Amino acid sequence: MDLSLITTLAASEVTPEIAGEYGRKAGKAIALGIGAGLGTIGPGVGVGYIFGKVIESVTRQPEMRDEITSIQWLGFALTEAIVFYAFIFGLIAFFLG
Amino acid sequence: MIKRLSLALMPLAAALAAPSSALAELNINEDFKPQNEFKLDPWINLPGPMDINKAVFYVIVATIITTMSMVYVARRMQERPNRIQTAVEAAYTLMRENIAGGNMDRKMAAKWFPFIATLFLFIWFSNMIGYLPLPTNTEHKVDIAGFEVPSLALYAATANLSVPLVLTLVVWIAYHVEGFRAKGVIGFYKGLVPAGVEGPAKGPIFVIELISDFVRLVSLSVRLFANILAGHLLILFMGGGLVVLLNLAVAGSVILGLVTGTMAVAFFLFEIGLVATLQAFIFSTLTAIYLGGAVSEEH
Repeated sequence: MDLSLITTLAASEVTPEIAGEYGRKAGKAIALGIGAGLGTIGPGVGVGYIFGKVIESVTRQPEMRDEITSIQWLGFALTEAIVFYAFIFGLIAFFLG
Repeated sequence: MIKRLSLALMPLAAALAAPSSALAELNINEDFKPQNEFKLDPWINLPGPMDINKAVFYVIVATIITTMSMVYVARRMQERPNRIQTAVEAAYTLMRENIAGGNMDRKMAAKWFPFIATLFLFIWFSNMIGYLPLPTNTEHKVDIAGFEVPSLALYAATANLSVPLVLTLVVWIAYHVEGFRAKGVIGFYKGLVPAGVEGPAKGPIFVIELISDFVRLVSLSVRLFANILAGHLLILFMGGGLVVLLNLAVAGSVILGLVTGTMAVAFFLFEIGLVATLQAFIFSTLTAIYLGGAVSEEH
């Protein structure tokens, strides 16, 4: 790590208030980024799983295709929405935190 | 393995070691506030929280278009249907057979089909109007032939939490009332515990099911709201917001703009082709499932 940053900071006229303000902003940005980013992992796996299973089911029983397709979209939308729960709580942390 | 990992992390360490040089070139545009795209300025001041603003305008427009288009199609029914009538009839079949009929018994489906169809159409129309650029951005005005015209903006009634929340509250109260009428208050809450749970496990399961009953209020409304809001945010950032915000040099802006602009078109097509319809479908399907589950004997 470049430790000269600390001496630069110490020499500059950054008061604790300013540093705290920047720290708060940084914390909010990190909350939004990490929260929304990590929140996409699970639903990503889930959506892939759903479509994988759909392909598997349709190849096994092609005559069930229509029925499977309607359930597939229900499952897709329910899973996909979980991304947005994480995203919305990230936005709440960003704008209201 | 560790050696490979450390090699992969080298650029990250290098970036961390030189934070000042990496960040000094970032020149964030402070004048552009993306959150203002969703700010609601009162257009007509009314007493209390009754101001007419962008969101109210979109709700009214969606309501009018839903009603007018359906009444228009219903009045002009023909023996040999034209394209619009075919499309509306296909939507009618979807709503009647798949959404209402597939999740409730016949009597309930006949009773609640109008409600579910209205929900579907209203949400679908408000989602779709949301992707038309309308002159609603009163913060930035454009001068066209001497008239101050608000600049074009994307907004949807469903991109504002209040509208999905009110729809969800109506659904939530409706299925509770139906459940109370079918099984009585105590019977309804007893029915929350799934069949097959016996003995002391009933208590904790009941608490979990009661919580999940209330969580439906959040999940149903936030699912619709967040999908539409996230779609609008994606289109906003990809279709130019990111370029304006990062404020790069000309060459960088052009390259970034070409990349994000292409992605904006892709996201726009994705939102129109899939998300708008899918969210309306999901909302009405879940309404039907909740209504059907509230009156069915085995849960």
